[in-house]
Amino acid sequence: MTAQWHETVNVDELWEGDMTAVTVDGENVLLINVDGQVRAYTNSCPHQAGPLDEGDFDGEKLTCLRHMWEFDADTGCGINPDNAQLKTFGCKVADDGTIYVDIGR
Amino acid sequence: MVVVGGGVGGAAAVGELRRAGFDGGITLICAENAVPYQRPPLSKDFLLNGAAATNCDVQPPDWYSQQEIELLLGVRAAQLDLAAKTVTLSDGGTISYDSLLLATGVRPRTLPGIDGEGVCYLRTMGDAAELLDRIHAAEHVAVLGGGFIGCEVAAAAVRLGKRVTILEALPTLLQRALGTTMGELIAGIHRGEGADVRTGQFVSGIRRRGRGLSVITGDGTVDCDVLVVGVGTLPNQELADRAGLPVGNGIDVDEYCATQAPGVYAIGDVAAQHLPSYGRLVRVEHYDTAIRQGRTAARNMLGAREAFTDIHWFWSDQYEHSIQSAGITDNPDDVVMRGSAEQRSLSAFQLNGDRIRSVISLNRPKDVLDVRRLLAREHSVTAAQLRDESAPLKRLAPPPQRAATAN
Ligand SMILES: Cc1cc2nc3c(=O)[nH]c(=O)nc-3n(C[C@H](O)[C@H](O)[C@H](O)COP(=O)(O)OP(=O)(O)OC[C@H]3O[C@@H](n4cnc5c(N)ncnc54)[C@H](O)[C@@H]3O)c2cc1C
Repeated sequence: MTAQWHETVNVDELWEGDMTAVTVDGENVLLINVDGQVRAYTNSCPHQAGPLDEGDFDGEKLTCLRHMWEFDADTGCGINPDNAQLKTFGCKVADDGTIYVDIGR
Repeated sequence: MVVVGGGVGGAAAVGELRRAGFDGGITLICAENAVPYQRPPLSKDFLLNGAAATNCDVQPPDWYSQQEIELLLGVRAAQLDLAAKTVTLSDGGTISYDSLLLATGVRPRTLPGIDGEGVCYLRTMGDAAELLDRIHAAEHVAVLGGGFIGCEVAAAAVRLGKRVTILEALPTLLQRALGTTMGELIAGIHRGEGADVRTGQFVSGIRRRGRGLSVITGDGTVDCDVLVVGVGTLPNQELADRAGLPVGNGIDVDEYCATQAPGVYAIGDVAAQHLPSYGRLVRVEHYDTAIRQGRTAARNMLGAREAFTDIHWFWSDQYEHSIQSAGITDNPDDVVMRGSAEQRSLSAFQLNGDRIRSVISLNRPKDVLDVRRLLAREHSVTAAQLRDESAPLKRLAPPPQRAATAN
């Protein structure tokens, strides 16, 4: 399947260490800037669907505040519990700074 | 390696043994006839959404065989011989161990005369299934004990449209765990949701009344269709006790989760752990601590010598409200408040000199996360700083090198 790139915000609005929630074709997506690399995840904790953009991001670790589930912000892999995984979306930053997201549809 | 007790603590331990590279034999002895599951949903989602919609498994059922972990279900460890390093099982078998972990948890404390048809205690999946049926069939649910389990079950029953009465002996709900101010806030939340919260009520017994019950209190009687009792627990320490291990309120272990017998460890709800930073034995009944102790103990069983230094943390969810805590609170009435009681956004901090000792929060999880980080670091704080919401908690510690440039 070819990627369907959806335009979202500009990377100027998403500083290193920041995260924000955007809606892409009805899907609630979390954009997060990890050390200059933008990542896109579903904005919902796999545990009980807590909104991740209301969580905490310390630059490396993303924490859902509902029950303190922790994820590696760079990979979406669970740290605690370590068998969790955030749903990941394709994501790229164009030359003009626009962040494009592919939610797979 | 043998682990007795397939709760979240025991399950975390066997997982960590494999993760750490141990490729010898592992046996997990589970008295319950179920693969290890999580209990927290049993008083929350399980009641609200039903069994089918609530997956409580710690690991998928086939994970244990994939990891080559021998899972004995419906089998109890009946006897422990420390000299011979063997465990005798309820099915008559005997297994020997090089290293043993006791993760036997707790059971509900029962009240004499308060039992039989319509009286429910809640610890296991089976208890929860029965309770769920009873609540569905009931019109009026009475809860004896305004602790976490009682309050959570009450919240679920209210949400299921039932008339709910909470009977508590102390002056307010959750008083011992959360203190008077927080307890009153929680009581206010339950009353606002329509529950009848009766505190200072000493229940002396029950009477059968048709298909229902009459609960006898100091003030009269409360008629109900089901009575849920949550009045604390007793540690499952008899196995250790009979083997001659030191027990008191739980199985005594040191900061390494080790008992006095070489190679024998204990963790989770059953373990009373000596923690030098608190200068006393600490036994908590919290999900996260059981898992973290399980991991630490597993590494120590494999020869590491790692003290348990993780920060204690727990949560309780009632209606849409989130209660969380970090650290160990000794006296929840000796606290400094931050936030607003009216807005039900409040944190109660206990101090130890110029350090934070613990925090208990209602709907302020960010405070809990900040404190969890602060507790692991150098920091210094005054009561005035904590009261001042404009002063961010994370600024109380010297900035780490990296974050200094990021802000
Ligand atoms: C309804 C409910 C809701 C909860 N909600 C929360 C919450 O919201 N937040 C929170 O932090 N904590 C909560 N808890 C507490 C949390 O579930 C416990 O802290 C946790 O289960 C402790 O795990 P454990 O492995 O130490 O013990 P357990 O989960 O008790 O597991 C011990 C197991 O060992 C078995 N066993 C005992 N003796 C033997 C033997 N001789 N041989 C073999 N097996 C044996 C027992 O049958 C049991 O299955 C809740 C508990 C309950 C009951």
